[in-house]
Amino acid sequence: MKLIIPHIHKTLGGTGFFSKISEKGEIKELRVTVLEGLRQIEGILIGRRIFETPLVISRICGICPTSHILNACRALEYALGIKVSEQTEALRRLITSAQIVQSHSAHLFFMSLADFFDIEDEKELNKKFSKESQAVLELRQFALRVISAIGGRTVHPITPRPGGFTKLPDKQALKDILKDYDQAEQAALMLVDLFQKIEYPKLKRKTRLASSYSEKDYPYHLGKQIKIGNEIFDPEGFFFNQVEEDLKTPPAKRVKYKGKTYMVGAIARIKNNNLEEKSYIQEFINKKNISEDDFFANNFYNSYCQAVEILHFIKEIKKEILDLEIKQDPYIEYTLRPGKGLGLLEAPRGILLSYLEVGKDGRIADCSIITPTAQYLNNLEEDLKILMKEIADFPKEKKIRRIKTLIRAYDPCIACAVH
Amino acid sequence: MKKIAIVSLTACEGCQIALLDLGKRFFDFLDKVELVDFNLLEEKEFPKGKLDIVFVEGNPIRKEEIKILKSIRKQARLLVVIGNCAALGGIPEMKNYQNKKKTIRYIYKNVMKVPNPDIKEIDNFVKVDFTIPGCPINNEEFLKYVKILIKGKIPKIPEKPVCSECPYQGKEECFLRKNEPCLGPIIYAGCGAVCTKNEFPCYGCRGFLPNLNLQGFLKTLEKMKNKQEIDNNLEIFGLKDML
Repeated sequence: MKLIIPHIHKTLGGTGFFSKISEKGEIKELRVTVLEGLRQIEGILIGRRIFETPLVISRICGICPTSHILNACRALEYALGIKVSEQTEALRRLITSAQIVQSHSAHLFFMSLADFFDIEDEKELNKKFSKESQAVLELRQFALRVISAIGGRTVHPITPRPGGFTKLPDKQALKDILKDYDQAEQAALMLVDLFQKIEYPKLKRKTRLASSYSEKDYPYHLGKQIKIGNEIFDPEGFFFNQVEEDLKTPPAKRVKYKGKTYMVGAIARIKNNNLEEKSYIQEFINKKNISEDDFFANNFYNSYCQAVEILHFIKEIKKEILDLEIKQDPYIEYTLRPGKGLGLLEAPRGILLSYLEVGKDGRIADCSIITPTAQYLNNLEEDLKILMKEIADFPKEKKIRRIKTLIRAYDPCIACAVH
Repeated sequence: MKKIAIVSLTACEGCQIALLDLGKRFFDFLDKVELVDFNLLEEKEFPKGKLDIVFVEGNPIRKEEIKILKSIRKQARLLVVIGNCAALGGIPEMKNYQNKKKTIRYIYKNVMKVPNPDIKEIDNFVKVDFTIPGCPINNEEFLKYVKILIKGKIPKIPEKPVCSECPYQGKEECFLRKNEPCLGPIIYAGCGAVCTKNEFPCYGCRGFLPNLNLQGFLKTLEKMKNKQEIDNNLEIFGLKDML
């Protein structure tokens, strides 16, 4: 028997689902299908110039272009031997926090929430959750205004460049955004509450959770280490020695760790680091009467983790704006030289690794970008295999709904996985 | 209510996100129309029969996408392309100026079956009634033009250059005055000169203005750098094949 979902809406990029199950209920084939052409961004960049590289890379994705452009700048800075100012780092922390909030809030409310209430379109959703919908839209606008103030606009920010920013934001304009902070925090708390009350489907499959790692804080920017399971690597060690790209199922890239699947994103970051708001995770675990192991073995809970992260990152936004001092030059000038650089950043969906090599001619000699979705596609399929057993007796419609719910809880971005 | 679809081919989906970024104003607009397709927000089956406006984002790279385009053209009273990829080929079109058999081998060294066509603008496949330009589109402009499109009329984008919206026009800070190539004088305004306002020259994502001596202007730019540099600049947003 085949179960096919030709197109799964409410994900970034085109996704579908294909499975073939024997009469005994054995899964013969299962895959997340990709409805997206290969744009060849990495190949296109070979031989291109340095200044245009971040701009081109940001076009990989329209939902997280900020992550892509910043990480490309970082890789080039390493390649060219530039150290940026603390002011640049602060602005990057700020815009990265805002990027995570805007992406998570769009995903949680407009793409994922309806699944738990069997709602199919936006009008019905806005009717059922009219108050919440307004609040989330305003929360998202709060983050978008930060991106716009620093990046020049929300989609495909203009100002990030190797060495810093082409233009500095107006500090007062950023402070003015904070006038709406209390409202944004209320909306974030409402989202946490809403996603805590949801009755999530059962799923139990232990996997390796990978993210940036730090002993003291909650790292998302300028990552120095990556933790996967119980192992810790520096970014280069992880990128060059531990993971490998599987290119057998084009056009999507798939990445494995020592031949095994792994998960990245909000749930992995929370597992691996000390989040200040960890009490919300504990509260969830207590209320649902599950163990911590159960929590991190069920990727439906990634949605709840995103809600808690929104709360964390809007607090980061406030802190960074209040601490911000703008007195240094917008950017440090670079001179071209051959070199290699690997940027590590937590994009909303997880670890983003951008590797760039500058050749003797001062142009790009090599480019490889490992996106979060490329890293967790295999893990998603393994989770779906377990889920299929759980839902084997469901009627077809309900089965399809459940499959879509898990796929959307992962928040895949196929545009990123293919690029 | 007018039936509207927003269809995405291979793309970063940034133009769709730009619409979502309008927040409440986008949802207020949706209250006034019947939205039959918008991947980010709903999951209804694509309807059969006539649609009033179909907006298309992205590049047709897979064969299926060309089929989708042709079939929506038949359904659409007005087919409007949104964004630089659909209108001018966009970033993916940079491949056309390289040895495309070599470009793909940087990614897929041995896999031969990945579709690798030349990138072409949507109007090579179907008739296009109107274009909302930009990478990404200016969402304010979308709201402005959609009001006209809903009445079944075709808007007219003012034939003004980016410089007309640039705060540095005629001033010392103008990129051209500093001998830095900027395409502002030959590109459609409507973006609010958002790049130059952010100290980044215009690379022309909104497309060439008509009836200008483009070659003459480009020769001036070549003197600032060289022909190869200017050619490379025109490749970023799919302008080179429009000359």
